[in-house]
Amino acid sequence: MTTPNKTPPGADPKQLERTATVREIGSQAVWSLSSCKPGFGVDQLRDDNLETYWQSDGSQPHLVNIQFRRKTTVKTLCIYADYKSDESYTPSKISVRVGNHFHNLQEIRQLELVEPSGWIHVPLTDNHKKPTRTFMIQIAVLANHQNGRDTHMRQIKIYTPVEESSIGKFPRCTTIDFMMYRSIR
Amino acid sequence: MASTKPLCLPRRSFPRRATVRRRLAEGEQILSGGVFNKQKSHEDIVNEFGDSACFTLSLLGHVYCKTDRLAKGSECYQKSLSLNPFLWSPFESLCEIGEKPDPDQTFKLTSIQNFSSCLPNTCTTLVSNHSLSHRQPETVLTETPQDTIELNRLNLESSNSKYSLNTDSSVSYIDSAVISPDNVPLGTGTSILSKQVQNKPKTGRSLLGGPTALSPLTPSFGILPLETPSPGDGSYLQNYTNTPSVIDVPSTGAPTKKSVARMGQTGTKSVFSQSGNSREVTPILVAQTQSSGPQTSTTPQVLSPTITSPPNALPRRSSRLFTSDSSTTKENSKKLKMKFPPKIPNRKTKSKTNKGGITQPSINDSLEITKLDSSIISEGKISTITPQIQAFNLQKAAAEGLMSLLREMGKGYLALCSYNCKEAINILSHLPSHHYSTGWVLCQVGRAYFELSEYMQAERIFSEVRRIENYRVEGMEIYSTTLWHLQKDVALSVLSKDLTDMDKNSPEAWCAAGNCFSLQREHDIAIKFFQRAIQVDPNYAYAYTLLGHEFVLTEELDKALACFRNAIRVNPRHYNAWYGLGMIYYKQEKFSLAEMHFQKALDINPQSSVLLCHIGVVQHALKKSEKALDTLNKAIVIDPKNPLCKFHRASVLFANEKYKSALQELEELKQIVPKESLVYFLIGKVYKKLGQTHLALMNFSWAMDLDPKGANNQIKEAIDKRYLPDDEEPITQEEQIMGTDESQESSMTDADDTQLHAAESDEF
Repeated sequence: MTTPNKTPPGADPKQLERTATVREIGSQAVWSLSSCKPGFGVDQLRDDNLETYWQSDGSQPHLVNIQFRRKTTVKTLCIYADYKSDESYTPSKISVRVGNHFHNLQEIRQLELVEPSGWIHVPLTDNHKKPTRTFMIQIAVLANHQNGRDTHMRQIKIYTPVEESSIGKFPRCTTIDFMMYRSIR
Repeated sequence: MASTKPLCLPRRSFPRRATVRRRLAEGEQILSGGVFNKQKSHEDIVNEFGDSACFTLSLLGHVYCKTDRLAKGSECYQKSLSLNPFLWSPFESLCEIGEKPDPDQTFKLTSIQNFSSCLPNTCTTLVSNHSLSHRQPETVLTETPQDTIELNRLNLESSNSKYSLNTDSSVSYIDSAVISPDNVPLGTGTSILSKQVQNKPKTGRSLLGGPTALSPLTPSFGILPLETPSPGDGSYLQNYTNTPSVIDVPSTGAPTKKSVARMGQTGTKSVFSQSGNSREVTPILVAQTQSSGPQTSTTPQVLSPTITSPPNALPRRSSRLFTSDSSTTKENSKKLKMKFPPKIPNRKTKSKTNKGGITQPSINDSLEITKLDSSIISEGKISTITPQIQAFNLQKAAAEGLMSLLREMGKGYLALCSYNCKEAINILSHLPSHHYSTGWVLCQVGRAYFELSEYMQAERIFSEVRRIENYRVEGMEIYSTTLWHLQKDVALSVLSKDLTDMDKNSPEAWCAAGNCFSLQREHDIAIKFFQRAIQVDPNYAYAYTLLGHEFVLTEELDKALACFRNAIRVNPRHYNAWYGLGMIYYKQEKFSLAEMHFQKALDINPQSSVLLCHIGVVQHALKKSEKALDTLNKAIVIDPKNPLCKFHRASVLFANEKYKSALQELEELKQIVPKESLVYFLIGKVYKKLGQTHLALMNFSWAMDLDPKGANNQIKEAIDKRYLPDDEEPITQEEQIMGTDESQESSMTDADDTQLHAAESDEF
């Protein structure tokens, strides 16, 4: 029996931010969970602290719902999961669904995790390889490692591509000479 | 374009402004009878406040400006200046509200009537005060607030006993009010004012806790005798204290630092000596320029030497004093005063000294001089000419010199405020070097370069300022934005750390910190810092503007709109905020509104090529391509170094299908900025339109190469569109690109092309 390869950890999303091609927009959304243990809820999921986590407290599938005020372009989803610290609480099968509201969700990605040990980057692209535009994202944990019932999720970040702020519908400039004249501050 | 005026929320509707407004109203009430009562005319005010009318009017002008009555405000400022041309603050305010006062007309000595009436009588008091006043310079020299407070106290005490003349107590309290227009809520000023009002203005008592030194207002331009003061001579010209030093007494950290800054500036310039005059703490201008000894390095320069003080001390200070070329160096003290008054917190004692500076060389001045003279006479130190006349002449010369300096600086500042930046730089660089190399002047020059978008030059100048006066906080927000434009993150973080360490109560420091984090793309933190800057000073327009920009970057356009409008409410001539509003409307594709706002910004700052460039693009978006091209041409003429203007001109030409000219433009641009991927991208698009697909692909791939953060979607799409009618695999398409590129060896001409090509071939 071949052991499946472990999911390699991805880069720290902070680096993504520094490239200025994406921006974290979780703060512009309303987050909700299907269930949680007291003291291990949304705040712990969004506190930028990898030590704290969300612990679910209900039946599967466990859901994280992210709702935006307006239709937002989302490019990447980053989830931090660590098998070594969470063992049977570590999610193993995650489904990502998008749509307009709860009854309108469609799955766009399903990923299998095998003993993850860090950040997992989930690109959210539609059929045409462009970032999805949506009102709502739902992350469903369908199964955990070792068939655990509840799940731990330590951190979730959601990224949108940065709009060009320069005038004209052009891609961003690359040299400082151009950037200096791009705007008045 | 019949677009509606942008919705500028009425000022009155901001509840939190109410508190400030209430105080402004109180102030106005006291000064001029208020909005609803019969208002006093300027003549009434002049009569009532006598010598301090100029300050009253200046303060009143400030109140009017803050409450939206700019015409009345500027009237008050003008009158104030005509009463006392030595005032800088009203002149500065006039420039800032957009008026164009004529420096030549304003800074003229002829308007001072009382020079001739310098024939004092009481000289004896002077002598007796020498010892007392002599102590002062020492204290003055220190930079600590305590010392300056003490100095003030001493001064005031000395002048206490002999108070006379028309020193209104009103003068003193006016000072405090004048001093504290911005930082301290006017309420404090006005509360003092109201107290004062009860004691009729003309009484000689000062409620401000110190002996009335109306004096500060009436500088006496005593002049140092031509000889070097001999060390041992106690009764000789007393302590000169730099008026600024006295003025700058306020003990708060920042102002003190600023005052120190100014003192530093004045350095070897003129010195306002403080006569031990009982009535007033009047500065005596040192017109002499002999250097009499080694210079001290540490103590604040301008301080005048005390003749009576230990011989060592004396030569040091006097030498510093005397190294200036002309007596006109007062500008420093001028600068001190000018900058200072608005910021000095309401400190009673300080008030006196404040505006006093070089205000009216009126009646009282003469006293000093004559007292001075008499003391000199009594010592038998002076020569044959009657000391009075000699001193008087010296005084006149000094004042004249000061005036000429003020004129120059006034011209420079006026040019800068009208955004005539090249001229401003020209005027200011003609100032003598010891004036030029001072914090204030250099900051103005730096700001001029900044407004011209010459960020490299601006950065150079500002780092010079940091070197000369590293405690200076004013003007540093422009430096931080310059570094932001140049993307020098290390320098910017150093600057912001220094500034926030030095003065947590200044909005400039928090603006710098916000800029630093904004450069690091940590917009939430930047927003926090800008909000803190606003908290620290709600009347600081630039903080609102920067906050607005951050909100635009986080796509919170409504909040951004509110911020920019706030900035405009605080300062309607803040063209950055108008620009910000224009940008938001552009993003929302409300092009006519955008154009209108950009145009407003341009009206305020007509020489900004960036603004013209934006207007050109918006006009193009509005399908007014001819106008767009005109505007862009204008922009290029104004600033040929702006590559974006050429780029946008090329793109407009491209959109109008003038491919050849577009290509020509872009080729020129390639020479100027060879590493810019956008240029290649646009060239690629032009070639695509011209049907030369291989060239197009070549340029697209170069563009992709030059974009280190991974291919821009647009570039990829552009390539895709060429080869993928609909659903072709991207992989094959890339292979195609690679294939075609390799065959393009022939068409390389310039070095960059070969370089790029070489890079590509290396890859494969």
